[in-house]
Amino acid sequence: MANLKEIKRKIGSVKNTQKTTNAMKLVSSAKLKRTEELAKRSRVYAAKLTELIEEIAQKMQNSSAEGIDNVYFKDVPNPKVVDIVFITADKGLCGGFNSQTIKRVNQLIAKYKENDVKVRLRAVGRKGIDYFKFNNIELNDEVIGLSAAPDFKQAAALISEVATAYVSGETDKIVLVHNGYVNMITQEIKEDQILPIDTSKLELNKVSSSELEVEPDDDDTLLNALVKRYVEYTMYYSLIDSLAAEHSARMQAMDAATTNAKEMVKELTVKYNKARQESITTELIEIISGMESMK
Amino acid sequence: MELMKLEIITPNGMIFDGEVKQVTLPGSEGEFGVLAHHATLVSLLETGVIVYDRADGREVAVAINSGYVKVDEEKTTCIVDGAVALSGDDTDISKALEAAKSLLKSTEASNTAIAAAVSKVEQIGKSF
Repeated sequence: MANLKEIKRKIGSVKNTQKTTNAMKLVSSAKLKRTEELAKRSRVYAAKLTELIEEIAQKMQNSSAEGIDNVYFKDVPNPKVVDIVFITADKGLCGGFNSQTIKRVNQLIAKYKENDVKVRLRAVGRKGIDYFKFNNIELNDEVIGLSAAPDFKQAAALISEVATAYVSGETDKIVLVHNGYVNMITQEIKEDQILPIDTSKLELNKVSSSELEVEPDDDDTLLNALVKRYVEYTMYYSLIDSLAAEHSARMQAMDAATTNAKEMVKELTVKYNKARQESITTELIEIISGMESMK
Repeated sequence: MELMKLEIITPNGMIFDGEVKQVTLPGSEGEFGVLAHHATLVSLLETGVIVYDRADGREVAVAINSGYVKVDEEKTTCIVDGAVALSGDDTDISKALEAAKSLLKSTEASNTAIAAAVSKVEQIGKSF
Protein backbone atom coordinates (compact mmCIF):
# COMPACT_ATOMS: atom_id res chain seq x y z
CA MET A 1 0.00 0.00 0.00
CA ALA A 2 2.87 2.34 0.74
CA ASN A 3 4.00 1.91 -2.81
CA LEU A 4 0.63 3.08 -4.12
CA LYS A 5 0.74 6.25 -2.11
CA GLU A 6 4.26 6.97 -3.20
CA ILE A 7 3.40 6.69 -6.87
CA LYS A 8 0.40 8.93 -6.41
CA ARG A 9 2.55 11.58 -4.78
CA LYS A 10 5.05 11.35 -7.59
CA ILE A 11 2.34 11.85 -10.18
CA GLY A 12 1.22 14.95 -8.36
CA SER A 13 4.69 16.41 -8.27
CA VAL A 14 5.35 15.73 -11.95
CA LYS A 15 2.05 17.33 -12.82
CA ASN A 16 3.06 20.42 -10.90
CA THR A 17 6.37 20.59 -12.72
CA GLN A 18 4.50 20.28 -15.96
CA LYS A 19 2.37 23.26 -15.05
CA THR A 20 5.45 25.34 -14.27
CA THR A 21 7.27 24.45 -17.46
CA ASN A 22 4.18 25.10 -19.50
CA ALA A 23 3.75 28.52 -17.93
CA MET A 24 7.40 29.35 -18.58
CA LYS A 25 6.95 28.34 -22.18
CA LEU A 26 3.99 30.66 -22.57
CA VAL A 27 5.82 33.55 -20.94
CA SER A 28 8.81 33.04 -23.20
CA SER A 29 6.75 32.91 -26.34
CA ALA A 30 5.05 36.16 -25.40
CA LYS A 31 8.38 37.82 -24.63
CA LEU A 32 9.86 36.44 -27.82
CA LYS A 33 7.21 38.15 -29.88
CA ARG A 34 7.99 41.47 -28.28
CA THR A 35 11.73 41.09 -28.68
CA GLU A 36 11.35 39.97 -32.25
CA GLU A 37 9.41 43.12 -33.01
CA LEU A 38 12.13 45.22 -31.39
CA ALA A 39 14.79 43.43 -33.39
CA LYS A 40 12.91 44.00 -36.61
CA ARG A 41 12.69 47.72 -35.98
CA SER A 42 16.35 48.04 -35.02
CA ARG A 43 17.49 46.12 -38.06
CA VAL A 44 16.50 48.96 -40.41
CA TYR A 45 18.70 51.39 -38.54
CA ALA A 46 21.64 49.01 -38.45
CA ALA A 47 21.35 48.35 -42.17
CA LYS A 48 21.28 52.05 -43.07
CA LEU A 49 24.20 52.80 -40.82
CA THR A 50 26.28 50.06 -42.39
CA GLU A 51 25.35 51.34 -45.83
CA LEU A 52 26.57 54.80 -44.94
CA ILE A 53 29.87 53.53 -43.54
CA GLU A 54 30.37 51.48 -46.66
CA GLU A 55 29.90 54.50 -48.84
CA ILE A 56 32.32 56.68 -46.93
CA ALA A 57 34.89 53.91 -46.71
CA GLN A 58 34.49 53.48 -50.44
CA LYS A 59 35.14 57.15 -50.99
CA MET A 60 38.24 57.12 -48.82
CA GLN A 61 39.52 54.07 -50.59
CA ASN A 62 39.06 55.70 -53.95
CA SER A 63 40.76 58.91 -52.95
CA SER A 64 43.97 57.43 -51.60
CA ALA A 65 46.17 54.69 -52.94
CA GLU A 66 47.09 53.11 -49.61
CA GLY A 67 43.52 52.27 -48.85
CA ILE A 68 41.61 53.57 -45.89
CA ASP A 69 43.74 55.47 -43.47
CA ASN A 70 41.71 55.46 -40.31
CA VAL A 71 42.36 54.02 -36.89
CA TYR A 72 39.16 51.99 -37.00
CA PHE A 73 40.04 50.35 -40.26
CA LYS A 74 43.71 49.48 -39.86
CA ASP A 75 44.06 45.77 -39.97
CA VAL A 76 46.43 44.26 -37.46
CA PRO A 77 47.86 41.05 -38.90
CA ASN A 78 49.28 39.80 -35.59
CA PRO A 79 47.19 41.08 -32.75
CA LYS A 80 48.84 41.07 -29.33
CA VAL A 81 45.85 41.76 -27.14
CA VAL A 82 42.31 40.78 -28.01
CA ASP A 83 39.17 41.80 -26.18
CA ILE A 84 36.38 39.27 -26.23
CA VAL A 85 32.97 40.58 -25.28
CA PHE A 86 30.38 37.86 -24.89
CA ILE A 87 26.71 37.81 -24.07
CA THR A 88 24.91 35.11 -22.11
CA ALA A 89 21.58 35.09 -20.36
CA ASP A 90 21.05 36.02 -16.73
CA LYS A 91 18.90 32.97 -16.21
CA GLY A 92 19.16 29.32 -17.03
CA LEU A 93 16.53 26.77 -18.05
CA CYS A 94 17.04 27.49 -21.70
CA GLY A 95 18.69 24.36 -23.01
CA GLY A 96 22.19 24.68 -24.36
CA PHE A 97 21.85 28.39 -24.99
CA ASN A 98 24.42 29.61 -22.51
CA SER A 99 26.77 26.65 -22.65
CA GLN A 100 27.10 27.01 -26.42
CA THR A 101 28.27 30.58 -26.08
CA ILE A 102 30.66 29.65 -23.29
CA LYS A 103 31.99 26.80 -25.38
CA ARG A 104 32.70 29.10 -28.28
CA VAL A 105 34.42 31.61 -26.01
CA ASN A 106 36.60 28.83 -24.64
CA GLN A 107 37.51 27.75 -28.15
CA LEU A 108 38.44 31.31 -29.02
CA ILE A 109 40.56 31.67 -25.93
CA ALA A 110 42.37 28.43 -26.76
CA LYS A 111 42.93 29.59 -30.32
CA TYR A 112 44.40 32.91 -29.26
CA LYS A 113 46.48 31.38 -26.47
CA GLU A 114 48.08 29.12 -29.05
CA ASN A 115 49.32 32.17 -30.90
CA ASP A 116 50.49 33.87 -27.71
CA VAL A 117 47.80 36.47 -27.80
CA LYS A 118 46.65 37.98 -24.56
CA VAL A 119 42.90 37.65 -24.18
CA ARG A 120 40.78 39.93 -22.06
CA LEU A 121 37.25 38.86 -21.34
CA ARG A 122 34.24 41.04 -20.81
CA ALA A 123 31.07 39.26 -19.81
CA VAL A 124 27.47 40.32 -20.07
CA GLY A 125 24.98 38.05 -18.31
CA ARG A 126 25.08 36.18 -15.04
CA LYS A 127 25.47 32.70 -16.45
CA GLY A 128 28.68 33.47 -18.29
CA ILE A 129 30.09 35.34 -15.32
CA ASP A 130 29.30 32.45 -12.99
CA TYR A 131 30.99 29.95 -15.25
CA PHE A 132 34.25 31.85 -15.63
CA LYS A 133 34.36 32.81 -11.98
CA PHE A 134 33.87 29.18 -10.99
CA ASN A 135 36.77 28.20 -13.21
CA ASN A 136 38.92 31.01 -11.86
CA ILE A 137 39.30 32.77 -15.17
CA GLU A 138 39.72 36.48 -14.83
CA LEU A 139 37.03 38.73 -16.24
CA ASN A 140 37.78 42.35 -17.06
CA ASP A 141 34.25 43.50 -16.92
CA GLU A 142 31.02 42.01 -15.64
CA VAL A 143 27.57 43.29 -16.41
CA ILE A 144 24.44 41.75 -14.97
CA GLY A 145 20.93 42.72 -15.98
CA LEU A 146 21.74 44.10 -19.40
CA SER A 147 21.06 40.92 -21.31
CA ALA A 148 17.55 40.61 -19.91
CA ALA A 149 16.66 44.22 -20.69
CA PRO A 150 18.83 45.69 -23.45
CA ASP A 151 19.35 49.39 -22.93
CA PHE A 152 21.07 51.47 -25.56
CA LYS A 153 22.81 53.82 -23.16
CA GLN A 154 24.24 51.05 -21.03
CA ALA A 155 25.30 49.04 -24.04
CA ALA A 156 26.97 52.08 -25.54
CA ALA A 157 28.80 52.86 -22.30
CA LEU A 158 30.09 49.31 -22.07
CA ILE A 159 31.33 49.05 -25.62
CA SER A 160 32.77 52.55 -25.84
CA GLU A 161 35.03 51.71 -22.93
CA VAL A 162 36.32 48.79 -24.96
CA ALA A 163 36.54 50.92 -28.09
CA THR A 164 38.55 53.57 -26.25
CA ALA A 165 41.06 50.91 -25.26
CA TYR A 166 41.26 49.96 -28.90
CA VAL A 167 41.85 53.51 -30.10
CA SER A 168 44.55 54.10 -27.51
CA GLY A 169 46.31 50.98 -28.72
CA GLU A 170 45.74 48.90 -25.61
CA THR A 171 43.95 46.23 -27.60
CA ASP A 172 44.33 45.29 -31.22
CA LYS A 173 41.04 43.61 -31.84
CA ILE A 174 37.56 43.40 -30.39
CA VAL A 175 35.45 40.32 -30.90
CA LEU A 176 31.83 40.00 -29.87
CA VAL A 177 30.36 36.56 -29.28
CA HIS A 178 26.68 35.92 -28.75
CA ASN A 179 24.05 33.35 -29.48
CA GLY A 180 21.83 34.86 -32.11
CA TYR A 181 18.28 34.32 -33.15
CA VAL A 182 17.59 32.64 -36.48
CA ASN A 183 14.00 31.53 -36.13
CA MET A 184 11.63 30.07 -33.55
CA ILE A 185 13.54 26.81 -33.35
CA THR A 186 17.09 27.70 -34.28
CA GLN A 187 19.78 29.74 -32.61
CA GLU A 188 23.17 30.31 -34.05
CA ILE A 189 26.42 31.36 -32.42
CA LYS A 190 27.61 34.59 -33.94
CA GLU A 191 31.15 35.83 -33.70
CA ASP A 192 31.63 39.36 -34.96
CA GLN A 193 34.82 41.27 -35.26
CA ILE A 194 33.76 44.70 -34.09
CA LEU A 195 37.02 46.56 -34.44
CA PRO A 196 38.95 46.98 -36.63
CA ILE A 197 36.12 47.05 -39.10
CA ASP A 198 36.46 44.14 -41.42
CA THR A 199 36.67 45.73 -44.84
CA SER A 200 36.33 42.38 -46.54
CA LYS A 201 32.78 42.21 -45.26
CA LEU A 202 31.82 45.60 -46.62
CA GLU A 203 30.67 45.96 -50.17
CA LEU A 204 33.27 48.36 -51.40
CA ASN A 205 32.98 47.93 -55.11
CA LYS A 206 29.86 49.82 -55.85
CA VAL A 207 30.32 52.59 -58.35
CA SER A 208 28.74 55.76 -57.10
CA SER A 209 27.07 57.94 -59.62
CA SER A 210 28.45 61.23 -58.42
CA GLU A 211 31.20 62.61 -56.29
CA LEU A 212 30.32 62.26 -52.64
CA GLU A 213 30.62 65.46 -50.71
CA VAL A 214 31.27 65.21 -47.01
CA GLU A 215 30.48 67.76 -44.36
CA PRO A 216 32.36 68.59 -42.09
CA ASP A 217 35.02 68.64 -44.71
CA ASP A 218 37.41 66.14 -43.26
CA ASP A 219 36.45 62.52 -43.65
CA ASP A 220 37.88 61.43 -40.33
CA THR A 221 35.52 63.43 -38.14
CA LEU A 222 32.47 62.02 -39.81
CA LEU A 223 33.82 58.51 -40.13
CA ASN A 224 34.89 58.44 -36.48
CA ALA A 225 31.47 59.58 -35.36
CA LEU A 226 29.83 57.04 -37.61
CA VAL A 227 32.03 54.16 -36.53
CA LYS A 228 31.47 55.00 -32.89
CA ARG A 229 27.75 54.86 -33.44
CA TYR A 230 28.10 51.71 -35.50
CA VAL A 231 30.03 49.94 -32.76
CA GLU A 232 27.56 51.03 -30.09
CA TYR A 233 24.67 49.98 -32.18
CA THR A 234 26.16 46.60 -33.05
CA MET A 235 26.52 45.94 -29.34
CA TYR A 236 22.94 46.98 -28.67
CA TYR A 237 21.59 44.97 -31.54
CA SER A 238 23.54 41.90 -30.43
CA LEU A 239 21.93 42.21 -27.02
CA ILE A 240 18.48 42.24 -28.59
CA ASP A 241 19.38 39.40 -30.89
CA SER A 242 20.70 37.41 -27.96
CA LEU A 243 17.57 38.08 -25.92
CA ALA A 244 15.36 36.88 -28.76
CA ALA A 245 17.48 33.76 -29.07
CA GLU A 246 17.31 33.21 -25.31
CA HIS A 247 13.54 33.32 -25.34
CA SER A 248 13.27 31.01 -28.31
CA ALA A 249 15.72 28.58 -26.68
CA ARG A 250 13.78 28.68 -23.45
CA MET A 251 10.53 28.16 -25.28
CA GLN A 252 11.93 25.07 -26.90
CA ALA A 253 13.47 23.73 -23.71
CA MET A 254 10.27 24.25 -21.79
CA ASP A 255 8.21 22.70 -24.55
CA ALA A 256 10.39 19.61 -24.41
CA ALA A 257 10.16 19.56 -20.62
CA THR A 258 6.36 19.76 -20.76
CA THR A 259 6.21 16.88 -23.23
CA ASN A 260 8.54 14.83 -21.08
CA ALA A 261 6.48 15.51 -18.00
CA LYS A 262 3.35 14.44 -19.83
CA GLU A 263 4.98 11.17 -20.79
CA MET A 264 6.19 10.61 -17.28
CA VAL A 265 2.70 11.12 -15.89
CA LYS A 266 1.44 8.55 -18.36
CA GLU A 267 4.06 6.00 -17.33
CA LEU A 268 3.47 6.62 -13.67
CA THR A 269 -0.28 6.23 -14.10
CA VAL A 270 0.22 2.84 -15.72
CA LYS A 271 2.49 1.88 -12.89
CA TYR A 272 -0.05 3.11 -10.37
CA ASN A 273 -2.84 1.09 -11.96
CA LYS A 274 -0.72 -2.01 -12.03
CA ALA A 275 0.17 -1.63 -8.37
CA ARG A 276 -3.49 -1.07 -7.50
CA GLN A 277 -4.58 -4.20 -9.37
CA GLU A 278 -1.83 -6.17 -7.73
CA SER A 279 -2.92 -5.15 -4.28
CA ILE A 280 -6.55 -6.06 -5.07
CA THR A 281 -5.51 -9.45 -6.36
CA THR A 282 -3.46 -10.13 -3.26
CA GLU A 283 -6.35 -9.12 -1.06
CA LEU A 284 -8.76 -11.37 -2.94
CA ILE A 285 -6.41 -14.32 -2.70
CA GLU A 286 -6.11 -13.72 1.02
CA ILE A 287 -9.90 -13.66 1.48
CA ILE A 288 -10.47 -16.73 -0.67
CA SER A 289 -7.76 -18.75 1.01
CA GLY A 290 -9.14 -17.67 4.37
CA MET A 291 -12.57 -18.96 3.41
CA GLU A 292 -11.08 -22.21 2.07
CA SER A 293 -9.36 -22.89 5.36
CA MET A 294 -12.59 -22.39 7.32
CA LYS A 295 -14.38 -25.12 5.39
CA MET B 1 7.34 70.86 -57.73
CA GLU B 2 9.18 67.64 -58.18
CA LEU B 3 9.05 65.19 -55.31
CA MET B 4 11.88 63.20 -53.74
CA LYS B 5 12.08 60.37 -51.27
CA LEU B 6 12.82 61.03 -47.62
CA GLU B 7 13.55 58.49 -44.91
CA ILE B 8 14.00 59.30 -41.25
CA ILE B 9 15.27 56.37 -39.22
CA THR B 10 15.81 56.12 -35.48
CA PRO B 11 17.02 53.17 -33.41
CA ASN B 12 13.37 52.53 -32.60
CA GLY B 13 12.34 52.24 -36.19
CA MET B 14 11.44 54.30 -39.20
CA ILE B 15 9.43 57.40 -38.35
CA PHE B 16 8.98 58.73 -41.85
CA ASP B 17 9.26 57.15 -45.25
CA GLY B 18 7.65 58.96 -48.11
CA GLU B 19 7.68 61.63 -50.77
CA VAL B 20 8.43 65.22 -49.92
CA LYS B 21 8.84 68.47 -51.80
CA GLN B 22 11.78 69.74 -49.84
CA VAL B 23 13.57 69.23 -46.55
CA THR B 24 15.62 71.51 -44.33
CA LEU B 25 18.28 69.85 -42.20
CA PRO B 26 20.35 71.06 -39.23
CA GLY B 27 23.83 70.19 -40.53
CA SER B 28 26.88 70.51 -38.32
CA GLU B 29 28.22 73.21 -40.64
CA GLY B 30 24.94 75.05 -40.74
CA GLU B 31 21.37 74.53 -41.76
CA PHE B 32 20.78 73.54 -45.36
CA GLY B 33 17.86 72.77 -47.60
CA VAL B 34 17.56 69.89 -50.01
CA LEU B 35 15.41 69.67 -53.11
CA ALA B 36 15.08 66.83 -55.59
CA HIS B 37 18.25 66.06 -57.61
CA HIS B 38 20.58 67.39 -54.98
CA ALA B 39 24.22 66.35 -55.41
CA THR B 40 25.42 63.43 -53.30
CA LEU B 41 26.30 64.56 -49.83
CA VAL B 42 26.95 63.12 -46.41
CA SER B 43 26.77 65.31 -43.35
CA LEU B 44 26.64 65.19 -39.61
CA LEU B 45 23.43 66.48 -38.11
CA GLU B 46 23.34 68.48 -34.94
CA THR B 47 20.68 69.09 -32.36
CA GLY B 48 17.90 70.87 -34.14
CA VAL B 49 14.79 70.53 -36.22
CA ILE B 50 14.27 68.80 -39.55
CA VAL B 51 11.47 70.50 -41.51
CA TYR B 52 9.94 68.95 -44.59
CA ASP B 53 7.03 69.73 -46.89
CA ARG B 54 4.89 66.74 -47.56
CA ALA B 55 3.44 66.05 -50.97
CA ASP B 56 0.09 67.49 -49.85
CA GLY B 57 1.78 70.77 -48.94
CA ARG B 58 1.69 70.24 -45.16
CA GLU B 59 4.77 71.23 -43.27
CA VAL B 60 6.06 68.75 -40.71
CA ALA B 61 8.83 69.27 -38.19
CA VAL B 62 10.93 66.61 -36.49
CA ALA B 63 13.07 67.53 -33.52
CA ILE B 64 16.28 65.48 -33.40
CA ASN B 65 19.24 65.27 -31.06
CA SER B 66 21.99 64.18 -33.42
CA GLY B 67 22.61 62.00 -36.42
CA TYR B 68 23.75 61.75 -40.00
CA VAL B 69 22.25 62.44 -43.35
CA LYS B 70 22.99 60.95 -46.74
CA VAL B 71 21.63 62.82 -49.70
CA ASP B 72 21.70 61.59 -53.25
CA GLU B 73 19.83 62.37 -56.43
CA GLU B 74 16.76 60.32 -55.61
CA LYS B 75 16.70 59.94 -51.88
CA THR B 76 17.52 61.62 -48.60
CA THR B 77 18.22 59.29 -45.69
CA CYS B 78 18.42 60.69 -42.18
CA ILE B 79 19.84 58.39 -39.54
CA VAL B 80 19.16 60.01 -36.19
CA ASP B 81 19.61 58.96 -32.58
CA GLY B 82 16.38 60.33 -31.22
CA ALA B 83 13.50 62.11 -32.84
CA VAL B 84 10.09 63.51 -32.02
CA ALA B 85 7.74 64.37 -34.88
CA LEU B 86 5.53 67.44 -34.68
CA SER B 87 2.81 67.55 -37.26
CA GLY B 88 -0.44 69.46 -37.50
CA ASP B 89 -2.59 66.37 -37.50
CA ASP B 90 -1.41 65.30 -34.09
CA THR B 91 -4.24 65.61 -31.64
CA ASP B 92 -1.85 65.87 -28.75
CA ILE B 93 0.46 68.51 -30.06
CA SER B 94 1.28 69.97 -26.66
CA LYS B 95 2.49 66.61 -25.46
CA ALA B 96 4.62 66.18 -28.57
CA LEU B 97 6.05 69.65 -28.04
CA GLU B 98 7.01 68.80 -24.49
CA ALA B 99 8.64 65.56 -25.64
CA ALA B 100 10.53 67.43 -28.35
CA LYS B 101 11.78 70.03 -25.91
CA SER B 102 12.96 67.49 -23.38
CA LEU B 103 14.72 65.56 -26.16
CA LEU B 104 16.53 68.70 -27.28
CA LYS B 105 17.50 69.64 -23.76
CA SER B 106 18.90 66.19 -22.99
CA THR B 107 21.64 66.46 -25.61
CA GLU B 108 25.22 67.45 -25.08
CA ALA B 109 25.13 70.23 -27.66
CA SER B 110 26.05 73.79 -26.74
CA ASN B 111 23.50 75.86 -24.89
CA THR B 112 22.99 78.26 -27.76
CA ALA B 113 22.28 75.43 -30.17
CA ILE B 114 19.75 73.96 -27.78
CA ALA B 115 18.13 77.32 -27.16
CA ALA B 116 17.86 77.98 -30.88
CA ALA B 117 16.31 74.57 -31.48
CA VAL B 118 13.88 74.94 -28.58
CA SER B 119 12.71 78.35 -29.75
CA LYS B 120 12.20 76.95 -33.21
CA VAL B 121 10.11 74.14 -31.81
CA GLU B 122 8.05 76.64 -29.83
CA GLN B 123 7.47 78.69 -32.95
CA ILE B 124 6.31 75.63 -34.85
CA GLY B 125 4.05 74.78 -31.95
CA LYS B 126 2.35 78.16 -32.24
CA SER B 127 1.74 77.81 -35.93
CA PHE B 128 -0.54 74.82 -35.51
